[in-house]
Amino acid sequence: MLQVLVIGAGTMGRAHAAAYASMPGAQLIGIADIRMEQAQQLAEKCGTRAYPSFEDAVSDLGTERINVIDVCLPTPLHKNYVVMAADIGKHVICEKPLARSEEDARFMIDYCQEKGVRLFVGHVLRFFPEYVKAKSILDQGGIGKPAVIRAGRGGGYPIGWNHWYSDFGASGGITLDAMIHDFDYLRWCFGEVERVYAKGLHGRHQAQLDYALVTLRFRSGVIAHVEGTWAHEGFSMNLEMAGTKGIIDYDSAKDSPILFKTRSNAATIPGVAVPESPLARSPYYRELEHFMSCIRDGSEPLVSAEDAYEALRIALAALASMDSGEPVLIDNTTPVITST
Amino acid sequence: MKIGVISFAHMHAFSYTKALLEIEGVELTGIADPVEERGRKYAEHFGTVYYQDYRELLKQGLNGVIVTSENVHHKEHVLAAAKAGVHVLCEKPLSTNIQDAQAMIDACKANGVLLQTAFPVRYNTTVVRAKQMIDEGKLGRILAMKGTNRGRNPGGWFVDPELSGGGAVIDHTVHVADIMRWITGTEVKDVYAEVDHLISENPIDDSGILTMEFDNGVFATLDCSWSRNKEFPTWGDVTLEIIGSEGTLSIDATSQKLHVYTDESGYRHHAWGDGMDASLVRDFVSSISSGAAEASVTGEDGLRALAIALAAYQSSEGHRTVAMAEL
Ligand SMILES: NC(=O)c1ccc[n+]([C@@H]2O[C@H](COP(=O)([O-])OP(=O)(O)OC[C@H]3O[C@@H](n4cnc5c(N)ncnc54)[C@H](O)[C@@H]3O)[C@@H](O)[C@H]2O)c1
Repeated sequence: MLQVLVIGAGTMGRAHAAAYASMPGAQLIGIADIRMEQAQQLAEKCGTRAYPSFEDAVSDLGTERINVIDVCLPTPLHKNYVVMAADIGKHVICEKPLARSEEDARFMIDYCQEKGVRLFVGHVLRFFPEYVKAKSILDQGGIGKPAVIRAGRGGGYPIGWNHWYSDFGASGGITLDAMIHDFDYLRWCFGEVERVYAKGLHGRHQAQLDYALVTLRFRSGVIAHVEGTWAHEGFSMNLEMAGTKGIIDYDSAKDSPILFKTRSNAATIPGVAVPESPLARSPYYRELEHFMSCIRDGSEPLVSAEDAYEALRIALAALASMDSGEPVLIDNTTPVITST
Repeated sequence: MKIGVISFAHMHAFSYTKALLEIEGVELTGIADPVEERGRKYAEHFGTVYYQDYRELLKQGLNGVIVTSENVHHKEHVLAAAKAGVHVLCEKPLSTNIQDAQAMIDACKANGVLLQTAFPVRYNTTVVRAKQMIDEGKLGRILAMKGTNRGRNPGGWFVDPELSGGGAVIDHTVHVADIMRWITGTEVKDVYAEVDHLISENPIDDSGILTMEFDNGVFATLDCSWSRNKEFPTWGDVTLEIIGSEGTLSIDATSQKLHVYTDESGYRHHAWGDGMDASLVRDFVSSISSGAAEASVTGEDGLRALAIALAAYQSSEGHRTVAMAEL
């Protein structure tokens, strides 16, 4: 039984806690959040204990009882808490993006290695069955040689604790926070990226909107276009792979297995539509269960910390390109370690 | 009104000619085509006179002519029409290089004839409605745009750069680039592009993603790839996603369609929206009859859109952003 302590009871903390609560072989032993009320609500729902801080949780539970620390905090806090977890010798699961800067990400990976703890990063897109299926069709040659790829995701502007998402220095905007999912997935499918060109709304428009369009050129020749939006209503994501012999097309907004709509009330309150794509095991469950099994048997994960580091470099290159107005080369001189 | 057609090399000649016949008061004077078999076939189909030599057709006292020859021949045909004092509707891309396009514009101006670039998407009812919504201010300030104009590899002379001047980028950039200019009312400042030959057997650019920045700070991308395969349910698409300060607008110009599944041809889209070619041709004819000083979509518009495609090639070759002022 692996005992997991979750830090952060926000959007991601809730998703992770719910997964552990129903996962055989894992036990959610505590949830820490500086907003104690938030922690308590979630702990109650998941049948575990709430703590007002990481430190309180560790001192109350004792380091012996904790096997894994799962960091679901705002991005700029990842580093400190990963380091603290490593310091007490615990394996770490950290939400993506691994860090806000390349230096921090490198430091975290090296630090965990030195301390002999494992570091897993929540690039959950690799566990979405539709994306897994698309890759398997691609890998079986189903579309021939891949050529032009389009991916996109987004919806409304995210509201996190203390409005940290709207602090560009903290979240890195849509490009670093959300498009990094696609960057990682596309790199998984098509290998290393050579060049990145990007445009984004950050710095052009003051209101709470972000929108970015990124072109990736892979060493294999594949051209990919990635759209990220915090300027639309309602979350959706899409993927299209066009190759020499076929096309794979997916759009969560078009293929919605469940769509619940409330009826509008006396023409004053408009109805709302809530789409759902139910799965027996959520992508978060699949991801965390996979990390648990890697910890148990020491095997390599489907997505390594080095993969997370590379995805971060692509996102940072996109931000650099937005600033310079020129393409940014992904430096190929550093050794590339892939997980597959 | 007497109208002729020069060359059926471009398949749009068929729908344009068909549209001509439906306009009251228009006489289809003749079809000129250096390829005799093709020219005779269509002249017979449309019940008109065949000319091997376009110069003969231009001597028939035409009011207007539609030029639907291979891209590299546009210049020769437009210059001859201008000299003969005949108004011209020229298929896109206007030309294969800026100098020729400018020469065509200048010749038409000097001879007092209209030069209209055939951009049918401007007449797409959906696009027209979108433009109206934008003009009404529904979107607020336009901030960014994402366009696609993808299709199947058309083959034939389109994949012979000697005749076409290039592949997907020159063929498919111009439509949506023109729409972007039209709805924003601004010009492209610089272009970056990744262009390559990745899909077809023919060694020609068939894959392209352009990024454009406009004078007013709006940015946009455009996928002009010939990336639709033969089992794709339709020829391609024209889409435009617009991000405004007050809302977003998603345009899918070909989504007025039926989904048809037959054992014979599999899954196909069948369009039921308004045709755009007929409106385009009707507009050209009405510009002539009203004695308009300028066509509603000018040669200049054609040149601007072409320049964006040419900048894309230049950018992709040099892996750098190309300013339109450099061209
Ligand atoms: N994988 C995904 O699909 C996905 C989706 C959304 C967010 N994320 C990532 O997950 C991370 C968390 O995002 P979120 O949306 O859950 O944020 P959030 O703002 O909803 O939640 C963060 C929580 O951390 C708490 N917190 C802040 N400082 C703390 C501290 N020092 N100690 C303990 N608790 C503290 C806050 O009270 C808040 O409840 C981010 O890195 C984000 O990029 C990933």
